[in-house]
Amino acid sequence: MLPLSRRIAAPLLGSILMFGSGAGWALEDRVVVMTSYPDELVQRYEQAFERANPGTDLQVVWKPSRDAAVELAKPDQGGVDVYWTPSLGSFPRLRDAGAFRPLAVDRAVLPGVVDGQFVSDRQGFFEAFEVAGYGMIINPAALARDRLPQPATWRDLAATRWTGRLALPIAGQVGFSGALYDILLQAEGWEAGWALLGEAAADATLVGSGGQVSESVVNGEADVAVTVDFFARSAIANGHPVALVYPPRTAFLPAQVAIARAAPHPDAARAFVDFVLSAPGQALLFHPDIRRYPVRPDVYAQAPAGTVNPFQRIGAEPYAYDMEMGLNRHGLIAALFDTLIAARQDRLKTLWGAIHAAEAALAAQSTAQSTTNPDPERTALVGRARMLAGFVPVAGADVDRLAPMFQDRRSNRNPEEQAAMRKDWSARIDAAHAEALELARRALPTP
Amino acid sequence: MRRVLPLAAALLVAATPVLADEAVTVPVQGRDAFSRPLPALDPVRRAAFHAGRSLFQQVWTVGPSEVRPDLDGLGPLFNRQSCIACHAKNGRGEPPEGESDSMRSTLVRLSVPGSGVGMAPQPHPVYGDQFNPDGIPGVPGEGRATLVWSERIDRLADGTPVALRRPDLRLGNLGYGPLGPEVMTSVRMAPPLVGLGLLEAVPEADLLALADPDDRDGDGVRGRVNLVWDAARGAYAIGRFGLKANQPSLRQQNAGAFDGDLGLTSTLFPQHGCTAAQTACRAAAGEGPGEDAGDDARPELSDEQLDLVTLYTRALAVPARRNADDPLVRVGEGLFAAIGCAACHTPTLRTGPSAALPELAGRTIHPFTDLLLHDMGEGLADGRPDFQATGRQWRTPPLWGLGLTAAVTDRPTYLHDGRARTPLEAILWHGGEAEPAREAVRRMPSLNRKALLAFLDSL
Ligand code: HEC
Ligand code: HEC
Repeated sequence: MLPLSRRIAAPLLGSILMFGSGAGWALEDRVVVMTSYPDELVQRYEQAFERANPGTDLQVVWKPSRDAAVELAKPDQGGVDVYWTPSLGSFPRLRDAGAFRPLAVDRAVLPGVVDGQFVSDRQGFFEAFEVAGYGMIINPAALARDRLPQPATWRDLAATRWTGRLALPIAGQVGFSGALYDILLQAEGWEAGWALLGEAAADATLVGSGGQVSESVVNGEADVAVTVDFFARSAIANGHPVALVYPPRTAFLPAQVAIARAAPHPDAARAFVDFVLSAPGQALLFHPDIRRYPVRPDVYAQAPAGTVNPFQRIGAEPYAYDMEMGLNRHGLIAALFDTLIAARQDRLKTLWGAIHAAEAALAAQSTAQSTTNPDPERTALVGRARMLAGFVPVAGADVDRLAPMFQDRRSNRNPEEQAAMRKDWSARIDAAHAEALELARRALPTP
Repeated sequence: MRRVLPLAAALLVAATPVLADEAVTVPVQGRDAFSRPLPALDPVRRAAFHAGRSLFQQVWTVGPSEVRPDLDGLGPLFNRQSCIACHAKNGRGEPPEGESDSMRSTLVRLSVPGSGVGMAPQPHPVYGDQFNPDGIPGVPGEGRATLVWSERIDRLADGTPVALRRPDLRLGNLGYGPLGPEVMTSVRMAPPLVGLGLLEAVPEADLLALADPDDRDGDGVRGRVNLVWDAARGAYAIGRFGLKANQPSLRQQNAGAFDGDLGLTSTLFPQHGCTAAQTACRAAAGEGPGEDAGDDARPELSDEQLDLVTLYTRALAVPARRNADDPLVRVGEGLFAAIGCAACHTPTLRTGPSAALPELAGRTIHPFTDLLLHDMGEGLADGRPDFQATGRQWRTPPLWGLGLTAAVTDRPTYLHDGRARTPLEAILWHGGEAEPAREAVRRMPSLNRKALLAFLDSL
């Protein structure tokens, strides 16, 4: 409970942090909440909110975020009171369009910052509700059985030969993969990041649905997959023998909540927001079928055993992931993933197979001769093949200039321009790959 | 059907446990125990199973959606917006807690007595055959449904008290006026969904052979098949699904759920369930007066989507038994047969040579159901006939997976409306044809009862 003075002052700020309608006014008979959350999460909040506020019916309007934006742009905002969803890009855009009303919160319990990342709105129009991190789901027993190491860093995705035991989400098809790959690319650097993705993908299974990525490890089709964490955490909580690994350089990104400007049930709307941000509302996130991270540090005292606390992460490297920059890049990343990886997986397999064979032969030679570099010429050839195989047709310096063109991927506003660019990419990639393959074959010592 | 042995003899009967066929059972025990595909499922169908699952988990949206037109079409009237809203983790639902709560994973069927030839009950003229609490924007929901509970203490023969609660249905905030005194209601909580493809694959002839409508063997247990309308075949067929065996196939059951529970049309059920009096519903559905269903009246749910969801419900594996060899469990298994539980909860069935999926054919299964209707007495009666099923009859529910209920469901409850909070309470509600079996449990020495419950927990 907050001190009395705050309870009285809070309504003036537009929000209080109390559970229910304790301040004594009656709520409206309904609150309309628009979301794209899965039902396993929505159900639990609906039930808990309605039980805590008898007489107020929570009506869920489920919309993918682009449909939601259309709804909120209507003069009456579709009768929606609250927008509550994991959709990073949407909230700032909607705020700028005037879709929300101010939402003051108590920064003493809701810091708005997680893992060094500002996750709420500095202007006070929307608030983080939970965060999710990005990492790898693994099957430790299967890896041990096949004498494979457990991956710890993003680089390990390419450093170990997973021979078909690695699953990667297809960037253009899996919602979370834009953020996932961007975190990896910012952590490893644009060029190095793409090179490692190409090498890892050469021998990976590409998966087109978000839940399937973790499921492939749960059901034994893969032993390692990169994913947003809640699928993995929920699988663990549901008794599956899998584990979650956070690379030292990763990020925890928020889902947020805001009250619509035209909310027809403003008191109930505020009660709902207060509920989801309250200690009981935040603790619901620990439910085995939800498993997302609360944004209130105080509820971690109730966390189930083994819960990572993103507010105090151990083993993390100082890494300032730039969320805003990343947001603009998702479309470009999807397009590049498509051209560079999804459309060329077979060729990548041949190419990286040749490079790995040459490297293995050189390594064998150096062991046999007990020298570090017995064949500098071939070593240089492989090194050059590696560089070319990792070629990405968009230079790091050009990313932010090109990104806007791909941002609105689905509506595809400039199809010809995009098609021309992709054609140019393809030609340059194929040239680089052809040369790389040639060099790798030359680097292979003749028996 | 098996003869009832005298109790003393039952103690000596430690059964050989019936155990699972590994191609259709999974050794999982956690919260996901009801969510795994058949181990035998072919890899191509496994991918379809996953696609079906995502539709089963999908929250459907009010149309039109620019981004996902394939996922719109909710309503105009509906109970919930997803299948998992009621069938969370493919487990059973929960009944409402009381007056201030409302039904979430429980629904109410409605009808009024018929008047014509045969007097078959008819859907309610205003509310239709299912109470739909919610409507899309602009369409009033039908109201709020909840249960209020009253408790009494039942005493077993040895004096052990067991609290039994019974529900009273409350329908409030009625959106379309009073329901009238003649209305018949049936409260039904969502049942668990494992192994349904196997049950679908049991030959009709085997069910007819199990049925004993005239009690020719004189054991007091009858069992009859329900005959229900098969919309795809345009003929009557034996019912297997639904709590009164009121659906002939999984495909129709699922299309019926999309239609009745979510408000999505399909080629099997192309019309929305709006009644003439529900004008806003009819307008929203494009079925208003003077409106033509039109040329582009594509069903909201495509055949492909229905097939994927149906594959998903067909291919959910059965969790393997635990502790089946435990001596206490084996004694319980013997008692289960000896006191006549197995007369309805048939331990073993066989699937036929041809099934909807080849993986399901020719399996020996242990569902502990005969899929038949039994008179369960006045205590459990809903008073609402459903095809051939009377207001006192219910389909024997399968008991496989019963012992994992608490692992899968947050608040486990049993029986058609979730009134029982433990399997023992469920047994004590048995009446009608099951009265002798219930009485045997009431009179049992407590160790035997413990064994019987340990057996149920091993399923
Ligand atoms: C409002 C809650 C609710 C929703 C939503 C719901 N169900 Fe059900 N389900 C039930 C109830 C209650 C029954 C028993 C129905 C009866 O007796 O007719 C049932 C029965 C079933 C059965 C048959 C089980 C058996 O043992 O006979 C299947 C299969 C099924 N539902 C699938 C679905 C699918 C697919 C969806 C989504 C399209 C769905 N359900 C949505 C409540 C629900
Ligand atoms: C005459 C047939 C019949 C007999 C005999 C019978 N049952 Fe049942 N059983 C049913 C039916 C029908 C239901 C469902 C009733 C309902 O939902 O209202 C049921 C429900 C149950 C349930 C609850 C299942 C669930 O999923 O909710 C359990 C447990 C059960 N029976 C155990 C037993 C045991 C143990 C015995 C022997 C003491 C027994 N039954 C004897 C027909 C029978």
